[in-house]
Amino acid sequence: MYAVYVLVHGLTLYTYAENWRAYKAQIAAQYSGVHLKVASTPPAFTFGQTNRLPNFLNSFPLGKVPAFQGDDGFCLFESNAIAHYLSTDALRGSTPQASAHILQWVNFADSEIIPPASAWVFPTLGIMQFNKQATEQAKEEVKRMLLVLNQHLNTRTFLVGERVTLADITVVCSLLWIYKQVLEPAFREPYPNVNRWFGTCINQPQFKAVLGEVKLCEKMAQFDAKKFAELQPKKETPSKKEKGGKDAGKQQLQQHHEKKEKKEKKEEKKAASPAEEMDECEAALASEPKTKDPFAHLPKSTFVLDEFKRKYSNEDTLTVALPHFWENFDKEGYSIWYGEYRFPEELAMTFMSCNLITGMFQRLDKLRKNAFASVILFGTNNDSSISGIWVFRGQDLAFSLSEDWQIDYESYNWRKMDVDSEECKTMVKEYFAWEGEFKHVGKPFNQGKVFK
Amino acid sequence: MALKELSSLEKCLGLKKPNKYSTQGEKKVPVLQNNQGSALVGLVTIASHLVCEAQRTELLGDSAEQRAVVQQWLEYRVTRLDGCSKDEVKVILKELNQYLEDKVYMAGNCFTLADALMYYGIHHIVMELAVEEKERYLNVTRWFDHIQHYPGVRHHLPPVVVLRNRVYPSSQH
Repeated sequence: MYAVYVLVHGLTLYTYAENWRAYKAQIAAQYSGVHLKVASTPPAFTFGQTNRLPNFLNSFPLGKVPAFQGDDGFCLFESNAIAHYLSTDALRGSTPQASAHILQWVNFADSEIIPPASAWVFPTLGIMQFNKQATEQAKEEVKRMLLVLNQHLNTRTFLVGERVTLADITVVCSLLWIYKQVLEPAFREPYPNVNRWFGTCINQPQFKAVLGEVKLCEKMAQFDAKKFAELQPKKETPSKKEKGGKDAGKQQLQQHHEKKEKKEKKEEKKAASPAEEMDECEAALASEPKTKDPFAHLPKSTFVLDEFKRKYSNEDTLTVALPHFWENFDKEGYSIWYGEYRFPEELAMTFMSCNLITGMFQRLDKLRKNAFASVILFGTNNDSSISGIWVFRGQDLAFSLSEDWQIDYESYNWRKMDVDSEECKTMVKEYFAWEGEFKHVGKPFNQGKVFK
Repeated sequence: MALKELSSLEKCLGLKKPNKYSTQGEKKVPVLQNNQGSALVGLVTIASHLVCEAQRTELLGDSAEQRAVVQQWLEYRVTRLDGCSKDEVKVILKELNQYLEDKVYMAGNCFTLADALMYYGIHHIVMELAVEEKERYLNVTRWFDHIQHYPGVRHHLPPVVVLRNRVYPSSQH
């Protein structure tokens, strides 16, 4: 279809249809009574085409939607800014305290809700590959986030003050997908205050005008493998397209990684690719990141890590797995490292420390094929330390091989072990078996986590 | 009491011309003498009439089901809440607290006449509650606080202070 970018007269919101980010602006406009034209269908807007045109990019350099244009040529991108602009003073908060609180919840939505909600929901929509561990982790994060909201709404009708504000609009829209897709009745039952508030908000006339009837999830959606396969770029697709998908995927990963600042490189690559209009929300993850194997240059090894992992998982560590390890270990092809968390004084509650470890494992997901680790939390609340034994393919610390792996490793001191030393034998034994003296630690074993 | 309430309701509804009311009987049932001759008797009857007069019929519920729920609470207000004994107060608070656990308003998802009249009727009770009791009937307190802040509702009644942060963590559910 031929795409045109027409300067529509009046206040215009460019978006693809049913974009929850655009909803924020649309609902705000309902409250303020601003007449907002929504350009989401051809000819006014063709997603993937209109937003690639030079004059669109001239106004909105990212080429992302929603994007807003006022009749005086005033342009805005970023959905929160657009919603803010279209709001009334009451929605924005009429005192400095109220408006700061509102901003707090708007940011909460972006940093606490959207990353785990996307990680959980995207695979159920078939736009992201399913990873059990990532989904489980996301569920836990969703639970924590809902608990915070539930506590807050215990004594409150709306998030800030006694009226609907941008805080409610933003947080409701951010929760929309999980309430529709995965928060089945049993899962959401422990959060009655959130449910009450959410139900009230989506039934306000101003919300309803935009959202229509919201059907809450009845049964938790699972990974949609069929749709995922359909959405995968076909072989004959130009390579450029795949590249776009990959970047978009990375972008999402990045969100998960507490937003590390390393965008520049990607933005460059993105500029030319046609697929990155896939806003991180919908089609962003249309294809799995297809990173090159960073270990490809290494010669073949005789040590089969998977074989060891199977033994370790299924059989006794001391009598079967460890002997297997030392019989087959190839010190040319693999190296053993000791890693110790550098900031033990910051470790407070043990469950938080455990999250630190499992979070790191999750972020290193792609390293699993080429690494094994047993990491142990020692001590108790407010007096603990974390250390572990890592086995990597190659002779170097693997983290430098991919920028996706570099988030946590700087928080650890790394020491390469002499594979033939007694010290190494002892530590491998103690860390793999989760028992022993742990002489160098000085704190009792609390719990262990295995990266495999 | 009921007369003050009706005059607050008039203001709340934006009715410019105040009506004149009288009362009848021992229970001081309010009476509105109508120009057309027939008098309107009783709080609920008069309140509903005022809502219609102000052309705010959405306050009586916007679907058949909701209209029924609004009527149910208006009736509850007059038959259960008004003139109830000390023992009954506890039962009522418990009932309401349970009812409001998953609701923001008495009926449906918007403010209705039921919220206004329940608020007017329960004000003197909530006013007397100790902090600990306000926490025990948390859902009532939250609803009450929301309604007393609803634009134009409070008028003749003093605001009741509600704490957001709980003082008695043991009563947390």
